[in-house]
Amino acid sequence: MSAAEKPLTGADTQWPRWEVLKKDSERKPHQAVGSVHAADAVHALLMARTVFARRPAAVSMWVAPAASIHAFTAEELTQVPAHSEAEGGELSRYLVVVKSTNRRSMTFGDLKGEVEASSVRAALDLALELAGEEPVLALWLVEAGSVVRSEPDDADPWFGPAQDKTYKQQSVYSSRATASKDAAEGVPR
Amino acid sequence: MTAADLKSEVSAALVERLTALADDELVLGHRNAEWTGHAPILEEDIAIANVAQDEIGHAVLWYGLVQELTGQDPDRLAFFRGANEYRSSALVELPRGDWAFTMLRQYLFDTYEAELLPRLMRSAYTPVSEVAAKVNREELFHLRHSALWVERLAFGTEESKSRLQSALNELWPLVPQLLAPLEGDALLAADGIYPDPAELAAAVLGRLRTELNRLELTLPALPAPPAAGARSDRGEGHLAALLAEMQSVARADPAAESW
Repeated sequence: MSAAEKPLTGADTQWPRWEVLKKDSERKPHQAVGSVHAADAVHALLMARTVFARRPAAVSMWVAPAASIHAFTAEELTQVPAHSEAEGGELSRYLVVVKSTNRRSMTFGDLKGEVEASSVRAALDLALELAGEEPVLALWLVEAGSVVRSEPDDADPWFGPAQDKTYKQQSVYSSRATASKDAAEGVPR
Repeated sequence: MTAADLKSEVSAALVERLTALADDELVLGHRNAEWTGHAPILEEDIAIANVAQDEIGHAVLWYGLVQELTGQDPDRLAFFRGANEYRSSALVELPRGDWAFTMLRQYLFDTYEAELLPRLMRSAYTPVSEVAAKVNREELFHLRHSALWVERLAFGTEESKSRLQSALNELWPLVPQLLAPLEGDALLAADGIYPDPAELAAAVLGRLRTELNRLELTLPALPAPPAAGARSDRGEGHLAALLAEMQSVARADPAAESW
């Protein structure tokens, strides 16, 4: 049973968690930006747009239920057992998301591509090949069939208005201490 | 067509219509903003605050067009008019109720705008067509959000369906007033500035009936269409209470430069 189908119990009043992948521009890959809680996939996509693309630039947004993501830390990757040819069954596709630096604060990994394999273990080998020489601080295999994507037609109404708006840091606004100084100097609010 | 091309009676009718559009957006935005910090989950709290901010932003755009015609400052219009001078409709003035009520009201209003705005985008008065295009872009997302909720509440649990039906029983009879023409609308329609109100009303009601029937909701009977200009009727006092709160800061120090 996927997280999306799991009934709520008294101990768990949260809706399922979905990870959000946002593409800032045509030149950039989809990047993991955080998570939302939502009742179902379409709801998750609308919540993702609301939480992660109200001001910052975006051209496309995907969500995947957290339960469909196989996540590995760098330490876990050193401990995975050797790949056995015998395991696995039908081929499945996985998105590969890799975190290769600790220097970025707003994104947690870049989409590197897709792999097709008959098991998570086999997919992991292909994913590491895809990552190439880059350091792998964390790696996700996202079951491709569980990913829900914004439509190209959504891009303008969902992400267009943000381009006409100014994103202001909190510090831009006057505080009580600075308001009279700003007013005296004619700084616009 | 720009402000200089308008005959004075057309300009006056346009000011009335723009004021009604702006007042609906501002009052609905304020009602939605009342959810801030109280919505069912964090993500929806952010979402409803976004919608509220968008609607208030749209009010600023429509008030801006009033300002071009009359010189009135949008902040003065928002914060220093009394309830009897507002031209909002009863649908947007009612208290926010529960989540089903808020989402259904938003859905009814978003559907109305989904029919209205594309027509206004073809307005012969250029400033209206430009603002309509800007507003329509954001409204497409609002409608996706409110329609998603209405559908899930309709097909959710017995409780969600019964709350939604109760909200519909209260809100549906108010839709004709939202759609009722103002006295000057015929003049605007004749010049291609504003759509024919009867055609617009039929399109909105037709779309809503189809959709709400699909959701297996029961539509209560509609009252007779109200007379032109029926928006000025301020029976319940909900608007006065809303304005008392919304305007209190601005009115505490009307000359304040910075706040």
